[in-house]
Amino acid sequence: MSNESLDPRVNRLKLGDASAVIKVEEGENWNVYEVFHQEKRGAHHEHVGCVHAPDPQLALVFAKEQFARRKKCVNLWVVRSADILAFDVEDEDMFANNLEKNYRDASGFKVMEKINKFKQSK
Amino acid sequence: MSSNAALTDLIIKMADDELVLGHRNSEWTGLGPVMEEDIAFSSMAQDKIGHAWALYRILHENLGGEDPDRFAFMRPESAFKCAHLVEMPNGGYDFSLIRHFLFDHAETVRYESLQDSSFEPFQLLSKKVKGELKYHTLHANAFIIQLSKASEEGYARMQTALNDTIALAAGIFEPSAAHEEELIAEKVYPGEKALYHRWLDRIYPVLVKASLNLPDMETITPVYGGRQGFHTTHLAPLLKEMGEVFNLDTEASW
Amino acid sequence: MYGGGYIFDEPNGKQLREEQQHDDPGKLSAFEERIARGEKIEPGDWMPAEYRRQLIRLIEQHAHSEIIGALPEGTWITRAPGFKRKLALIAKVQDEIGHGQLLYNAAETLGKSREAMINDLLSGKSKYSNVFNYPAKTWADVTVIGFLIDAAAIVNQVANAKGSYGPYCRALERICYEESFHLKQGHDAFIELATGTPEQKAMLQDALNRWWQPIMHFFGPPDKTSQHSEKLMQWKVKMASNDEMRNQFLDSYVPKIWELGLTLPDPLLRKNADTGRWEYTDPNWDEFFRVINGGGPCNAERLQVRKWAEEEGRWVRKALMNPAERRSLPVA
Repeated sequence: MSNESLDPRVNRLKLGDASAVIKVEEGENWNVYEVFHQEKRGAHHEHVGCVHAPDPQLALVFAKEQFARRKKCVNLWVVRSADILAFDVEDEDMFANNLEKNYRDASGFKVMEKINKFKQSK
Repeated sequence: MSSNAALTDLIIKMADDELVLGHRNSEWTGLGPVMEEDIAFSSMAQDKIGHAWALYRILHENLGGEDPDRFAFMRPESAFKCAHLVEMPNGGYDFSLIRHFLFDHAETVRYESLQDSSFEPFQLLSKKVKGELKYHTLHANAFIIQLSKASEEGYARMQTALNDTIALAAGIFEPSAAHEEELIAEKVYPGEKALYHRWLDRIYPVLVKASLNLPDMETITPVYGGRQGFHTTHLAPLLKEMGEVFNLDTEASW
Repeated sequence: MYGGGYIFDEPNGKQLREEQQHDDPGKLSAFEERIARGEKIEPGDWMPAEYRRQLIRLIEQHAHSEIIGALPEGTWITRAPGFKRKLALIAKVQDEIGHGQLLYNAAETLGKSREAMINDLLSGKSKYSNVFNYPAKTWADVTVIGFLIDAAAIVNQVANAKGSYGPYCRALERICYEESFHLKQGHDAFIELATGTPEQKAMLQDALNRWWQPIMHFFGPPDKTSQHSEKLMQWKVKMASNDEMRNQFLDSYVPKIWELGLTLPDPLLRKNADTGRWEYTDPNWDEFFRVINGGGPCNAERLQVRKWAEEEGRWVRKALMNPAERRSLPVA
């Protein structure tokens, strides 16, 4: 009871010396899980961040309070960050849209033009 | 309908448990073992204090009780009816986790029993807290099982904490000689003895999964007294601290 | 809550700046064009070494400030008056830990592990906001912190949220949302005291007097004395100058203090109607640097408590550790 802190909680702790060397071991904060949040039924799960956890079960337990304690939520997914596969940033050019592939878009088909042409021809 | 005295007694016991344990557990906020767990444990502390508040409001609104803030922050120690379990200082995280596990399962069977209580405010409250309690016990079970199975140290700490806590936890179910029979007869709740057995049925399978040994309950003497206003030396300083600012001026608005 | 728009400089900065000269000029110009176009930089992107270093430093210090910032307010967790204040304060301190969690994750995407950051905090190598080295002496201090320090933090964080690094911006977006709750509950508790009994008002005035200088320090030294940060501005790491943010804070919040009949301990404080800028007595910057370098009233206690928490929780973390598992940093 002699830490002389203004915080009564702190005065109940057995504090060590301020100059003590305390080191956390690499990996002590466990592994990283990405968290996906579903706001309402029928909606996609969206990536909202990550949690450090020792296994998927506790990742879910932690994600629930870190990512759904305020925001509306009906479900969560967690997945190990190490298991996420993504393209390299340099491969962004693969996603460039080829304007000639308009056969994939509604705008590539000029239905009204054809109808009007047909009506005019009558 | 049950007498107000019996209902009031039951509500105060429940609420004081929740307030004092929520208060204790909130002492970990900002100081937990890892940030994610700090957040989870803090939420559950808030939930408990929230349950206490809801119960004091029921007392205030339905049974002529005092304003919840004044009732919680100004009452003398002897008017508190919490179990000794919740009064104990936090100690290490092992004790805090085991206490959370034992208490939250007790809380869960109690609220479940209130779903069809003849006292309507209990029905409403039990529906409201159902999801919260499900999370609390999910969290507690996961930690107890994982820590017990993870390492020798984890197992030893969990078993020791369980041994040290079980008699205190059994004290949650201290029966009330004056009111219990009436509350059971009026179908307000099934009584402490029934809840105690339901509680054992809940914690036992989890302890088995964790390979922890539940001490022989026949040889355990439950720690009673709290429900009658007899407390450990830890409660009075806790209450003094909790009311320190409020009691600077009890007529002021804070 | 954030701690401070002021990025502390590390002694080894020079060496890393030299390293940056080896950045590929072509990649560097593409990177800078991307930022100039308003695009965000993501973890896998090429980035100059100096950009990475500065961001790690900024985000890490921000994260440390959150978990250390939980301590001054935590001082009153067990004593908050009444249910609503009690719950709001626990929820607020919880949010600070939550913010720390989000920020450490954002910093980890740049390649420094959470453990390494925690170690740098504990050893004193990495700093946190100076403002948390002051004590919260009374309940009124909690309301001043909740209202004004959080307000200052919002000014800073709203600016930073428009920065160039995607993960940091996303974390800040969430944080700013929660800060609006902090500010509101802080303001509410502040008003309660300001409009309460004479004792309550005196308690608040006393807290305000004590916190004013740390608040003026919050945004860092005046622009005229701080190092040039043009590159950081160009890279959208630093989004506004210290004086700019301080002025913005004064403009928004001094009127909210004065309207309650409270005073601020600076006779020169006023808004210049001609320039539209606030004038004030320059706070004591020697004191600022003295506190940063460990001489403040609470520096030792803050680190002692953090060290206690890490030590106390170690068995839980170690028991559940799985060294064989494939680990990675957050992906986004």
